[in-house]
Amino acid sequence: MSNSNHNAGADILLDIRGLKTYFHLDEGTVRAVDGVDFTVPRGTTIGIVGESGCGKSVTAFSILQLVEKPGRIEEGSIVLNTGGQNRVDIAALDHDSEELRQIRGKDIGMIFQEPMTSLSMMYTVGFQMTEAIRLHMDVEKDEARDRAIEMLQAVGIPRPEQRFDAYPFELSGGMRQRVMIAMALSCDPMLLIADEPTTALDVTTQAQILELMQQLQEEFGMAIMLITHDLGVVAEMCSEVVVMYLGEVVEQADVDTIFHNPQHPYTQALLQSIPRLGHSHEGRLNPIVGSVPDPYHRPSGCPFHPRCTQIITGRCETVHPEISRLDPRHTVRCLLHEDPHG
Amino acid sequence: MADTATPSAPAAGKEPLLRVENLRKYFPIRQGFFGRSVTQVRAVDGVTFDVFPGETMAVVGESGCGKTTAGRCLVRAFEPTGGSILYRNRDGDEVALDALDNKSLKPVRRELRMIFQDPFSSLNPRMTVLDIIGDPLRVHNITSGSELEERVADMLLRVGLRPEYMRRYPHAFSGGQRQRIGIAKALILSPQLVVADEAVSALDVSVQAQILNLLQDLQAEFDLTYVFIAHDLSVVEYIADRVLVMYVGKMVEKAATDELYHNPKHPYTEALLSAVPRPDPRERSQRIVLEGDVPDPAHPPSGCYFHPRCRYAQDVCATETPALRPIGDGHEVACHLAEDLDLRGITDLVPRD
Repeated sequence: MSNSNHNAGADILLDIRGLKTYFHLDEGTVRAVDGVDFTVPRGTTIGIVGESGCGKSVTAFSILQLVEKPGRIEEGSIVLNTGGQNRVDIAALDHDSEELRQIRGKDIGMIFQEPMTSLSMMYTVGFQMTEAIRLHMDVEKDEARDRAIEMLQAVGIPRPEQRFDAYPFELSGGMRQRVMIAMALSCDPMLLIADEPTTALDVTTQAQILELMQQLQEEFGMAIMLITHDLGVVAEMCSEVVVMYLGEVVEQADVDTIFHNPQHPYTQALLQSIPRLGHSHEGRLNPIVGSVPDPYHRPSGCPFHPRCTQIITGRCETVHPEISRLDPRHTVRCLLHEDPHG
Repeated sequence: MADTATPSAPAAGKEPLLRVENLRKYFPIRQGFFGRSVTQVRAVDGVTFDVFPGETMAVVGESGCGKTTAGRCLVRAFEPTGGSILYRNRDGDEVALDALDNKSLKPVRRELRMIFQDPFSSLNPRMTVLDIIGDPLRVHNITSGSELEERVADMLLRVGLRPEYMRRYPHAFSGGQRQRIGIAKALILSPQLVVADEAVSALDVSVQAQILNLLQDLQAEFDLTYVFIAHDLSVVEYIADRVLVMYVGKMVEKAATDELYHNPKHPYTEALLSAVPRPDPRERSQRIVLEGDVPDPAHPPSGCYFHPRCRYAQDVCATETPALRPIGDGHEVACHLAEDLDLRGITDLVPRD
């Protein structure tokens, strides 16, 4: 993979610090994202993994300020460095401002699990694409059309001139996914946020889309933030991995460390619980006990402690662990790795 | 042949529990004012397999391949268009499931149960867990009252839920717990054969492992036979003794799990195995990326349905439909070129150190 070695910290595209996004509901407050820090280096692929309810999608939506009421970004900064000294804190912008609208779709593109989230049934593929292009780029209609067809071609859609006039419902699931990617990339974004982009697809289609994303990254040089629960997809695609549990980052490291030297008990347990091709003779699977707690009854102390096999009785139930840095690229939030000086 | 990781091996020498012969299910496509049937979709088109007592037979393939339709024909949720399904009931008599009417089906239905994919939509939200799991007992006039409650409580324990929860409604349970309820409902009548349709694919990864282990424990405890319909090949390798691969309604390959995964004989199986992402960055595999999409089953290609996407295709593949044929060791494949190809199995696909 072309993106497997970068200089850590050298060129940061997106810097998220202390991000908190809460949902205020009648039943109580759901702390969907509760103090998340991580950075996205330019031109690399970073994976955000975790099970349902861990806050990975809300983190992505927060980056574009697309969190809907009753959700709200409570705290934190999301600094986008578009080049040179050009820094903007997205979290501080008004969600309806012109500036933010220019970032959405232009600097940051987003694709979803379900293509119809971003495509409308009522308009042709071409209409939707040219509209997005003309919103962000100063081009004439004809130029926008050429650009759209060029993008459809780039994502491997056969006969793009004809597909330009097709409605989304006329396309297969894999083709729609490609159209959505073409649309997200049509304004040459620096960051592509992909929220479970292949989860609804069959494996052979998934292979096509993953291959395509890697190709396009080589060609256009954008960074990709890949949000998924599939550890296989993460291992194939990412150079850096952020593991989330109940709204917190529990571990962050380069991909090889996450898979071969994980330090958080949750990361370790997650890796042990999945069936792997060619390993079925190694006996029974090793599941994590229990299930993800419901968001209204967040455990005290370390949120993973009720399911943890390495619990330090008497401490993990009460003490909320801080982040410890094991080496420059590896952080973990666990009392087992408590920094004595921290 | 047997997979040592699974508690039950296919019993060689035993009579099959289920014999499916040339199973077909066509759906008409109706058009126009009078709803005339203009053409048909061959959702399942000639599927043949045996299932032996105590084994797990997996049916795999991508969406639209007909695996779910085939599974529903087995429990007679769908009436097959053609072919035969012979089932050996508890008394040892062979009954033709495809020919039974609804009345004579009823006793058989006690022995053939189904587990569904979506634990959120397959449980009635207005019924308590007691009613959901106990319902089959009432429908089949087996028991009622306090005895029914006892049986439900016992079943809840066996699937890892607390009997105290039996008066709660499904919404009070997590996805994994709901799937346990679905399993309890399937097993309350002590069936012989359970058809599990994508039973773990809607679950979180940590819970998926719990349910897979539970299914294996219950299989050993109750002597169950599974037909396991799934698209996730890592899960299938873990749970199945034998695997049947389908593509656009047709069987393309069938073999013992180890044999199929290490020594695939159909180019489609090879591509499927290569496409599974490995959860190890040191095993980034050389994916075989297929061109194009799965064809529309209403308008399948000529010859071998896979030939437009097959990288080994030759002229004969476009004109002649390959028949499923045995090639030794219980391995069957529908490919003209099976003997000539040297396909890659799961161990050939990754760089080993």
